[in-house]
Amino acid sequence: MAQGKAILYDSSKCSSCKGCQVACKTWNNLASPIEKNAQPWTGSYQCPPDLDTHTRLVITFDEKPREKYGVDWAFGRRSCMHCTNAACVMVCPSGCLFHDEETGMVSIDNEKCIGCQYCHSACPFDVPRHQGVSFMGTEAIINKCTGCIDRIKNGRSPACVSTCQSNALQFGEWSDMLAKAKERAEVLKAKGFDAAQVYGEEQMGGTHVIYVLKYPLEQYKLPENPQVSPLIGAMNWFKPILGVGSVALLGGLGISFLRGVGYKRDEMHYDELKHDIVDLDTGEVIRHIDKEAGER
Amino acid sequence: MPGRYIKRHSLQTRLTHGIVVFSVIWLAISGLFVFVPYFTQIGSGEFVRFMRVSHRVVGVIFILVPIVSALLAPGGFKAFLKKYFVKWTPEDKEFMKKFIPYMLSPKKVHMPDQDEVKSGQRVADGAIIVGGIMMAVSGLALWLGGSVFHASAEVLVVMRFVHDLFFLVLVVFVVAHAYLGAGIFQPYHGMRKLMFGDGLVRESDALYHWGFWAREELEEGDNIVER
Repeated sequence: MAQGKAILYDSSKCSSCKGCQVACKTWNNLASPIEKNAQPWTGSYQCPPDLDTHTRLVITFDEKPREKYGVDWAFGRRSCMHCTNAACVMVCPSGCLFHDEETGMVSIDNEKCIGCQYCHSACPFDVPRHQGVSFMGTEAIINKCTGCIDRIKNGRSPACVSTCQSNALQFGEWSDMLAKAKERAEVLKAKGFDAAQVYGEEQMGGTHVIYVLKYPLEQYKLPENPQVSPLIGAMNWFKPILGVGSVALLGGLGISFLRGVGYKRDEMHYDELKHDIVDLDTGEVIRHIDKEAGER
Repeated sequence: MPGRYIKRHSLQTRLTHGIVVFSVIWLAISGLFVFVPYFTQIGSGEFVRFMRVSHRVVGVIFILVPIVSALLAPGGFKAFLKKYFVKWTPEDKEFMKKFIPYMLSPKKVHMPDQDEVKSGQRVADGAIIVGGIMMAVSGLALWLGGSVFHASAEVLVVMRFVHDLFFLVLVVFVVAHAYLGAGIFQPYHGMRKLMFGDGLVRESDALYHWGFWAREELEEGDNIVER
């Protein structure tokens, strides 16, 4: 079970005002395009369409028609889930991505990012983005939610939580947030929202962003059973294998070298007319190649 | 040393091999700065970024030079392939069976005659060539997939797995190749000059290592140099 702190997102209380998006950008000094029609038109109120190089948090929109009338309009929150078993941390070679010990949040140290983008390919939620991605990759640097550990360490809640007017976002101890989420999910079920559920208790060892989902999971585009790719587990074995294998290989070659010390062989000459291999020092025929018998 | 020599590797082959050797060494060193967190973390961010970029630049050299070389000498490339895709003789099988005992006891174990490319060489070089191609393909996919084409996460993870896996495979075969090719193993003393010298092999060494091929060359006489 996860420990530390958690952000609780109650989708049933979210009014999709996007204040959290703005607060995130403001606190983290992340630019947005300001040119007219700079954002692509998608037909949705969701804007921008997904996380991008300057957007760490986006409120998602999903409409599903009801059987009789109206729609189930699901608002979701898409950002780093701050997994306990964080695949991004597992693959990060530079130590740029790390678990904050006190809160359990997955934070970043930009100074250490080498732009390899391994985190991007490892995350089952497809969250990390990189600024400065180019052909040569000299400037690529990670951009994702830091969990606002700078604010938390100073006794404040994350920027997104601090601005939420509808109390859809809350922040506190992980266990308290989970208890609140479960309680709220039961309330929603009692009101007839049968698909209401808590997301984040079990997923990835427990995430430090816990969701109360009012509608079925697919309306929030969340994976039902997010997993660390088994290939990542295998790759983490490659490093010790390389270490042990290199020692074994060099040891084996060392033995081979020592066993070969002092090796000498006679100088040979081939008499192509007689088909004899001759010892150059003694003139003795070492071997005759019997061409008639089919020897080569 | 005076005597007869057999031409084994052309200047173009030696140049291509030399550039590939430099590339492989540089790619291995620069790749370690991403593969092994210890190296990543002891270097400054700028230095690691330089190594990553150099990995890409040298990777292009590693890929292009053999291709250009093959295009410049298509006949030679065809002949090169022909040496590797041959039917295994009983001597080839015997060579493979005796290889480990020979490596550990070269004074006692005697190897059978071989053609121009030994059966063990075919296996090892084949592994290096296949490994090199897999590294090139996966490396390009990681590079271009992460910059130009925005490949899916699944594709990138698979490509990384392939890149890391074949790195391990290549470590084994390249180190063994260098041990033998550089003549560190005493029976292979002098072999270094075949690729990093004039490309000629002494008659006696040729008879020892590639008996079938050496006798054939000596009988034909076309590639013999007297010194």
